[in-house]
Amino acid sequence: MSAVFERRLREQRARVLIRTHGYRQRRHAHGVWLRLRRVLADAGAAYAVSEADARALVAEGHAVQPVGAELDPPKLIVTVPADRVRTMAGAAPVPIRMGGDLLAAPCLVLVPFGPAPPQSGDH
Amino acid sequence: MTFRERLFATIRAARPVLEEPGVLVVGSEVPNLLESGAASTLVVSQDLDIGVPVACHAAVKRRLPELLQYFEPSPDEPSVWTPRSPQLLEVNFVGVDASQDPAEAYVFDDDQLPLLVFGALSLIEPGAELDIEGSRIRVPRVAGLLLEKLVTDRTGEKGDRDLLVAMGLLMTAASADLDECVGAYRRLRPELRHAVRANLTLLSLIDARAGMPDPRPQRAAVAALLRRVEASAEEPR
Repeated sequence: MSAVFERRLREQRARVLIRTHGYRQRRHAHGVWLRLRRVLADAGAAYAVSEADARALVAEGHAVQPVGAELDPPKLIVTVPADRVRTMAGAAPVPIRMGGDLLAAPCLVLVPFGPAPPQSGDH
Repeated sequence: MTFRERLFATIRAARPVLEEPGVLVVGSEVPNLLESGAASTLVVSQDLDIGVPVACHAAVKRRLPELLQYFEPSPDEPSVWTPRSPQLLEVNFVGVDASQDPAEAYVFDDDQLPLLVFGALSLIEPGAELDIEGSRIRVPRVAGLLLEKLVTDRTGEKGDRDLLVAMGLLMTAASADLDECVGAYRRLRPELRHAVRANLTLLSLIDARAGMPDPRPQRAAVAALLRRVEASAEEPR
C-alpha cells in the first residue's frame, strides 16, 4: 500500500473516532456548538440587541433559546417574528455564521425562516 | 476556455472508462452535470471523481491504456491521473463497495489502479444516464449522493467544499429526491444520522467563498431538510 493511501486511511479513521467521541458527548458540554449551530440554522436573520431590549422581548413571551445559557459568558438568545424586530430601532443585523460579530454579541435576536420555499428542482 | 468546456473535454477523454458498465461519476461534478443543460455553474473543485465499483475494477483497468494519451498516473497519489493538457481536469478514481459499512474505509490494492474505498460511497446507487456531447455517462441517484456528502466527516476548506457539493445537489434535487434522501437517512444508525444533522448545520453557516457558489441563498432549503430529517426518526437519549 502506498504511503499516501496509508496516510489517508489513518486520517479517515481519526475523523471517525472524533465523530464517535462527538456523538457520545452530544448531550454534554462538547455538544454545545452543535446546539448553537442548530438554533442558528433555523434563523433567516440575526440581530445584536441591547440587554434591555432582549429582556423586554422575553417579558413579552418570546422564546428564549436555552443554548445561550450554556455558553460562557452566557448569551441571551431570543427568537422573534420579523415584524417585531422591525420595530426595534437598536437592532443591528449580524451575519449568520460562527464569526466574531455573532459570537461577541451578548444578546441576540433570531428571526426564523418563513414557510419553506418550493424546491428549485421540482418538475 | 470555460470550466464547462474543460469538464466536457475531460469526460470525452475519459470516455472509455466512464462508459464501462457500473462506473459512475461521483463527487463535485455531479451537480454541474445535473444542472439544466449541464450548465456547470456550481464549480467547487477542479477534478472529476470516477467511482469504480470494486467488482468492475478489472474491466476498468483494461480500459486504462486508452486514457494514457490524455492523462498520466500521478507518482504521488496512485488513484489520481493528472491531465497532459491544461484544457483537461484531473481525474480521481475512488472505489465503491456496496457491502461496506458507511463509517469504514479500506484500500483495494493493485499495482496499476489502487483504490481507496470509502464506505460512505456504499450509500450511492446508480442513477440517471446522461448524454454529454455523445458520451453516455452515469451519475448516482441524487438522494444517495447527497446523503454520502452529509454523512462523511470532513474538516477545513476541503470540508466546506464538500458541503458545497451537497448544497449543489440540494439545488438540483426534486421533491422525490428529498423524500428518498429522508427515507435513506432513517435507515442509518443513530451516530450517522447525527453526522448528517451536524453537517447540515455546518452547511447552513458556511460563508460565501470567492469563485464558489454562494450557499447563503440556500439556507432556507437547508433548514427545511434539517427539520425533515429530525422529524423522520426518533433519536436515542
